[in-house]
Amino acid sequence: MKAKLYIVLLLIIAIVNTYAQKFELGKVSVAELNEKKHPIDSSAVAAVLFKRGKTFFTYTNATGFTANHECEFRIKIYSLEGLSWANQKVSYYVGYENLNDDKVRFSSAVTYNLEDGKIVKTKLNNEGNFKTKINKYWNQATITLPNVKIGSVIEFKYVLESENLVRFPDFDFQYDIPVNFFEYKTEIPEYFIYNSLLKGSQEIETKMEVVDSKKEYALGYKQNNSLYSSKNIPALNKEEFVDNIDNYLGAIQNELETKRFPDMPVVDYARTWEGVAATIYKNKNFGDEIKIRNYYSKDLNGLLLHINTPVERLNVIFKYVQNKMNWNKVMGYYADKGVEKAYESKTGNVAEINFMLISMLKTAGIIANPVLVSTIENGIPVFPNRTVFNYVIAVAEIDGQKILLDITNKFTTSNVLPLNLLNWQGRLIKEDGSSKEIDLIPAIVSEDHYNIKATIQPDLRIIEGLLTVKRTDYSAFNFRETNGDKSKDIYLEYLENNLNKIEITDYFIDNKSQDLAKPVFESFNFKWDHSYDNIAGKLFLNPILFFTVTTNPFRQEVRQMPIYFGYPHRYIYTVSLKVPHGYSIESLPASIRIVTENKEASYVMNVNSEKDTVNIEVVKEINKAIFAAEDYDMLKNYFQQVIAKQNEKIVLKKI
Amino acid sequence: MKIKSLFLVLTICISIAVQAQKSEYNAQSISDSLKENANAVVRLNQIDILIASQRSMTIKTKRVITVLNEKGLRAIDAIEWYNKSTTVRSIEAIVYDGLGNEIKKIKRKDFKDQSAVSGSTLFSENRYVFLDYTPIVYPFTLIYESEVQTSTTAFIPEWKPLTDYFLSVEKSILNVNCPSNLGFKKKEANFSDFKIVKSTDTPTQLSYTATHILAQKREEYSPDFDVIFPVVTMGLEYFNLEGVDGNAKTWKEYGQWFSEKILSGTDDLSAETKTKIRTLVGNETDPIKKARIVYHYVQEKTRYIFIHVGIGGWKPMPASDVDRLGYGDCKALSNYTKALLEAVDVPAYYTELYGDEDKMDIKSDFVSIQGNHVILCVPNKDKYLFLECTSQDIPFGYQANFTDDRNVIVMKPDGGEIIRTKIYDDTDNTKSSKGSYTVAPDGTLSGTVTMVSEGTRYGRKYYLEKMQPTDQEKHYKEYWDNINNLKIDKLAFVNDKEAIRFTENVAISAVNYGTIANNKMMVPVNAFTQYTGSVKRIRNRKTPFEIARGSADSDEIKVVLPAGFSVEFLPANFESKTKFGSYTTEIIKKDDNNLIYKRTLFVKSGLYANKDYDEYRLFMEQVNRNDNAKIILTKN
Repeated sequence: MKAKLYIVLLLIIAIVNTYAQKFELGKVSVAELNEKKHPIDSSAVAAVLFKRGKTFFTYTNATGFTANHECEFRIKIYSLEGLSWANQKVSYYVGYENLNDDKVRFSSAVTYNLEDGKIVKTKLNNEGNFKTKINKYWNQATITLPNVKIGSVIEFKYVLESENLVRFPDFDFQYDIPVNFFEYKTEIPEYFIYNSLLKGSQEIETKMEVVDSKKEYALGYKQNNSLYSSKNIPALNKEEFVDNIDNYLGAIQNELETKRFPDMPVVDYARTWEGVAATIYKNKNFGDEIKIRNYYSKDLNGLLLHINTPVERLNVIFKYVQNKMNWNKVMGYYADKGVEKAYESKTGNVAEINFMLISMLKTAGIIANPVLVSTIENGIPVFPNRTVFNYVIAVAEIDGQKILLDITNKFTTSNVLPLNLLNWQGRLIKEDGSSKEIDLIPAIVSEDHYNIKATIQPDLRIIEGLLTVKRTDYSAFNFRETNGDKSKDIYLEYLENNLNKIEITDYFIDNKSQDLAKPVFESFNFKWDHSYDNIAGKLFLNPILFFTVTTNPFRQEVRQMPIYFGYPHRYIYTVSLKVPHGYSIESLPASIRIVTENKEASYVMNVNSEKDTVNIEVVKEINKAIFAAEDYDMLKNYFQQVIAKQNEKIVLKKI
Repeated sequence: MKIKSLFLVLTICISIAVQAQKSEYNAQSISDSLKENANAVVRLNQIDILIASQRSMTIKTKRVITVLNEKGLRAIDAIEWYNKSTTVRSIEAIVYDGLGNEIKKIKRKDFKDQSAVSGSTLFSENRYVFLDYTPIVYPFTLIYESEVQTSTTAFIPEWKPLTDYFLSVEKSILNVNCPSNLGFKKKEANFSDFKIVKSTDTPTQLSYTATHILAQKREEYSPDFDVIFPVVTMGLEYFNLEGVDGNAKTWKEYGQWFSEKILSGTDDLSAETKTKIRTLVGNETDPIKKARIVYHYVQEKTRYIFIHVGIGGWKPMPASDVDRLGYGDCKALSNYTKALLEAVDVPAYYTELYGDEDKMDIKSDFVSIQGNHVILCVPNKDKYLFLECTSQDIPFGYQANFTDDRNVIVMKPDGGEIIRTKIYDDTDNTKSSKGSYTVAPDGTLSGTVTMVSEGTRYGRKYYLEKMQPTDQEKHYKEYWDNINNLKIDKLAFVNDKEAIRFTENVAISAVNYGTIANNKMMVPVNAFTQYTGSVKRIRNRKTPFEIARGSADSDEIKVVLPAGFSVEFLPANFESKTKFGSYTTEIIKKDDNNLIYKRTLFVKSGLYANKDYDEYRLFMEQVNRNDNAKIILTKN
């Protein structure tokens, strides 16, 4: 799967690029202005006719090397919805500690319109060019082009100058509108070696060469030139059940791997996962912070008095830190103010509070290590570099079993992490700097178990009964997180509406938050009006009553991105339905077993009757967290069958 | 000796504890009634407004909030805006735990400073400072104090003792001091049912204290918050707006001032542009027809963007700039359209209002700067036509769902005037569905339907035309969520902007629409307009409920049943009349296989009492149930 999403650009593919000369700013044609619809994607609201990027280095004695990232665009507007492309924003970083602020300069911004068959140019002047200080770290440069209407072609260019050479801004070449042609050139002095990475599923052409530099700052060195290009990149639009659309949008990324100046030792930034992990561990805000112990030792000694088994010790420490510490919502894998200060003030960032946990577990004699993670919002950590991670959690090892832990959240427990961490693999780092991959997607299947005992009251046209619910693991976590703060009244109102407007009485909840490792239980009596069709003396009702699903979550005909469910999930419905006095069973839906080809989703329903009781047991399972886009039809079809089956009626007739 | 020193240590401890404790705001001392349904409790919210002169106002805030859980954090509201005319003189906070022990002092430098640029705002001179605090324990109490100084006295903050749902109030105080010569005035609303004491009310001083307000639940279909809960609106007859002095006792005077000081000089156009628009209008003499031509010209030429500069964003960008650049915000585009209309001798007036789906009025009995949006008013004999100038695609004169049925302030040449905008009558908001469907012996449905939407319903539909095909598909699959396995076979739209009528022609098919079991087939008769939604159950509804816009549906669908089956059961005709509207269904049996299904649903707009809500819910439930009525067929 991973291989499909990312292609590592290592080979030198010698394909001579033939488009390079055709696209220059200022050469807008009448044909482009006359075009009413995109020739390939007729629904496109706008299209990038071309995007050209170039990254090159400049040098001054005062500041050393600066990376210059140039971008040129020509965009065609087809409809009103496309007008927003006439507003362009570029954010740039101004929060460096030791570097000068980034700079952005827009230029060559022009709108082209066709008036009476003639091309009319309107240039952007200062009126439509703004700079804004967003906050301490970020500024934003904005332009809004003049005279843009349906049919216009716009052009602009911007240069982002940055002394930060570690990571280039991503060169995006796929948007929610089509891109007809793009080209990205990097010219990098031989002193810097970058890892290049292609994101998304589009194939592109790559050409690389080594040339003599003609720049003034130092003669006689070589320069590595790379040219990436492609054409007809289709639009990628939002779809449901997607982890993060950014994972699938085409872009070229560059991260610094090595610095090797003549007569100076080579500086290795990152080459392998091992290298990345070791570099991170060596940072004083990482490994060293885990080693500090004295700030908590007194508290911990008290805590562990008479607690001897490793599992108990883990649980006690976990609960203690989870209760004491409060996450300030700042992500990252380095400590900021440090664990000691965080402990004292009871607040900290992700690294500080999870380091505390790791350190205490170690002190308590449990093997524990940090795991670097990329959250869902941050994308997939696929190629070894430091910038792919944005989070750190803990892993403990007891009797050879690995237990993932994160205490930023008040409802997490052993092996239950916040949902935005369920993203491919994390990187476990040991104290010696060695590291390995560790799966973050849970293997365990979380369960929702609904047990219904119901009676039909034909005189009142209602069904009433008792429902008990048990939720385990991630399902329990999700429940606690969503409803933990709600007052009983508000929760019940939500539940009543969610379960097809049943009326709830005698609500009881057990283990709402006492022992997070154990399931949550709910039970209540319900009364359900208009719960079945009464037609010509016959009652028609759905076997799993108000849990019946009537619409397929997958509506689209075609799918572009993988389907993400988060975690494996099993739903069990056990219904015992009493046939009312004076009625008998006319027909029951047949028992069935629906299983997808790859056996990763299934639906099993058993129906039988015993005297005046109908017993239904349904087990619905989705055993995988993420499915490939190619599996879409299979999944859609599966849901379709499940819905059809859930809507097959139990028929009771009047005797 | 030993005892003595111990005593000393003890007293030091106590005195330290006393210093750092605010026992009055101990979370335990909150009464149970105030905790019910509350995410946070306002212990005290004291606002002192000192108006020193027409050009100087100071607002001091002291707010003590006990936050009970994470959802209550927003009640802290530690945020102050500033710009060229407004300065934040001081801002700070102290946090105490539930027992009243001090946890943390937060100084001005710990507040974050941020630009107001976001989303559709491309540029703004406004900035804000705000507190981003991570609680370490719940409940906790935060004391927030700020002082803001401004030269803009045109806006005195409204006093709302209750500011949000799920928030209760122990005490809320307002004190206003103002020189007697500025014409200070106020308007109270919705005070009944709340404990509010007015302790001072003189021409120069005003004081209120509100106590013990219980937390309110948000309920669906509620009128706007400000319509149900207490609010005091205040203003000056002599005021200053971002450096511009003004005075107005009446709307007439307000309009005169606004036209003279704010609008004047913004409506010049080049001779070339004037000639161009005159040529375009040609020999047309009817002012409304001329306006239509100009309106379409503006729609094609311009686009909406939001840039917040100039005097607080109150003065429109000059019409000549809009002409040159082809963009502007609501003020600029309205003003530009006005200038073009004047060039062809059609009078048009700049109009301020609240643009919102909720019908929010300019308070006609309280002269002050109000509103959040600008449109244009064109006199049409003894009536008025209103033009929304920020949209490039809505029909000429269309107002539904955003600027309809509300009081607005129109800047006429001789001064301001309050005018009510167009009202869309319940019976004009129609949707008619006509079509037919066939059910095959295997239960497959295939059919076509033509749906015509007018009035407010047009506004809910016309955008369909511009959607991406995948989104259109999604829309119809949601719209017909009663039809499982739905396939859209054909889709065509007619957007008649002259008549303001949107027509959808859709052909659909679906396997297993009729469900077969034991030689019988069940067919839900209403395939195309089944109401599958529902009105939420609400436990003990407290607020009145409002149906803001009525509607009238009528359907006539031919149904062709499969050959080889005979009808065992047909749903009975149904009729229901309530104060909220009426609903009828009728099935006419033409022969063994052909039926005609007729249905009407009329919903009346209105404001209803809280106790009526359940009745309304049951009415809609009836609709839901009857819309789902099924025909039973038996195989011959």
